Amino acid sequence: MNSVEARGVFVRLGQVQALDDVHIELEGGKATMLAGPNGAGKTTFMKVLLGLVRPDFGSFAADGEAIDIDNEWKQRIGYLPEAVAFSDNLTGRQVLTFFARARGVNRSRIGAVLDQVGLGRAQRRAVRGYSRGMRQRLGLGVAILTNPDLLILDEPTAGLDQEGLSVLWGVLDQWRAAGRMILISTHDLALTERRIDDICVLRAGRVLVQGTADDLRRAARLAHRVMFDVVDDDDPKVGLLCDAMTKWGKGRVERTPGRLIVEVTPDSILEVMKIQSGFPETVRGLRVEEPTLDLVYDKLLGAA
Amino acid sequence: MGRVGRALVLHELLERTRDRWVLVISALFALLATGVSLYGRSAEVEVAKLTGPSLVTLTALLVPLVAMVLSHDAIVGERERNTLGLLLSLPVSRIEVVFAKYIGRALALVASVTVGLGIAMVVSDAAGARTLSQLLGPTLLLGLAFLSLGMLISTCSRRQVTAASIVVVTWFLLVFFYDLGLLGLLVITDGAISQETISTLVIANPAGLFRLQMMQAFAGPEVLRDLGMTATLPGPAALALLWIAWLVVPSIGSGILLTREKVT
Repeated sequence: MNSVEARGVFVRLGQVQALDDVHIELEGGKATMLAGPNGAGKTTFMKVLLGLVRPDFGSFAADGEAIDIDNEWKQRIGYLPEAVAFSDNLTGRQVLTFFARARGVNRSRIGAVLDQVGLGRAQRRAVRGYSRGMRQRLGLGVAILTNPDLLILDEPTAGLDQEGLSVLWGVLDQWRAAGRMILISTHDLALTERRIDDICVLRAGRVLVQGTADDLRRAARLAHRVMFDVVDDDDPKVGLLCDAMTKWGKGRVERTPGRLIVEVTPDSILEVMKIQSGFPETVRGLRVEEPTLDLVYDKLLGAA
Repeated sequence: MGRVGRALVLHELLERTRDRWVLVISALFALLATGVSLYGRSAEVEVAKLTGPSLVTLTALLVPLVAMVLSHDAIVGERERNTLGLLLSLPVSRIEVVFAKYIGRALALVASVTVGLGIAMVVSDAAGARTLSQLLGPTLLLGLAFLSLGMLISTCSRRQVTAASIVVVTWFLLVFFYDLGLLGLLVITDGAISQETISTLVIANPAGLFRLQMMQAFAGPEVLRDLGMTATLPGPAALALLWIAWLVVPSIGSGILLTREKVT
């Protein structure tokens, strides 16, 4: 399976329109992040794909062909719910053994999965002795047990320490490299940015914007910071460069010891560099800083 | 039952064997049954007349509570642990999940009651063992009926603590207050309700049905007349249907409720 498409999905839960004409596409080899404030519909959309919420309207397609959310479909999905907690009395291995049996997975895979999620040594310990992060890693193990075509992860970073995050990044990289799909919901945008390909921002059940992180940055039209490292603060040419930038008037200019900072929109960065080229030997380096995804997200939600 | 259902039955059974509560139940039941049985033996009276009714009372009180406690967290426990969605995302129907959970827990209940009564049988004399063996089948039916009721309570509840509270209230209502309520009804209506109606209402409650069935088994049909009940128990086929209904209907209700849930 190389693509999944959900079209025109509507879900009404009581008085709330939880999903309102949602259209989302997932592609093989890509991780798609669902972002949005609480109650935006992220988990509801995931549950629709898992058959846990029945949509009022909507159609689904895999590789361009219409599909039903049935048992055959469920066999192709791996799921990590938010803040999952398993039965305290069982060991990590027993939990995975149940899911392996239920999914028809060869038991030899259990050990490999436990090792992959870093629970190899804790596999015979009761889950009651697991930390929150270890339970989350066990949940991740359950999700990847069948090598599913589509991995659905709801807030997977919650409660994970650095070791847990490394395990998660490893799984995400492996899935993308294998051409499989990932749908991930998280509030840790900055943390996850480097591991995702597409972002879909939901608000009040509607898709606000969908695209790559760069697409979202463009849509947000937030200023980039062009930072020049000045050779000599006392050099009069630096003052002239600063004046030229201010006169140009397309960006906010700020001067700090050893540095000249110009905040501009991405399409003006080349012009800034052109102006600087008129003042040779004033700077020894430059760095362009993109707005963080958190800022982009806030801007998009604020503007909506 | 499909692959997921079978795996779930085994999983439930495994979980129950790790559950100290089930071990406590077995030990307590064995202890009490043995105690009553040994007391009947030492009293040098006809065993069935003393041991039987005492064990019936003990069983009618203990087994319904034990069974409902055993099943009250079946669905709501998964809900609270956030694993119900994970379970239902497996390729399995919701009704099969309910039945697999019911069967897994039923096997655990059957094992603990059988072990409990079995230990009591071993330490009893022949007459006591005969009484206890007569008790086994109906006790299991009683337990399974309340287990099924516990499944329904578990599915209806949003929190485990709510389910536990409903279980206790249901136990009080069906085991303690039901008969008192019927007596009150007779008094209030000044006998306007027929004996047949009262008898029907008594056997409509599995605890009442169990008590009557066992009383009759231990002391003969005349015991019902001594209790002032003109009606007799229904025939074996009707009795079997009644028990099957109690075993199955609450669980089916539980399955239907879970299936009809729009969000899990």
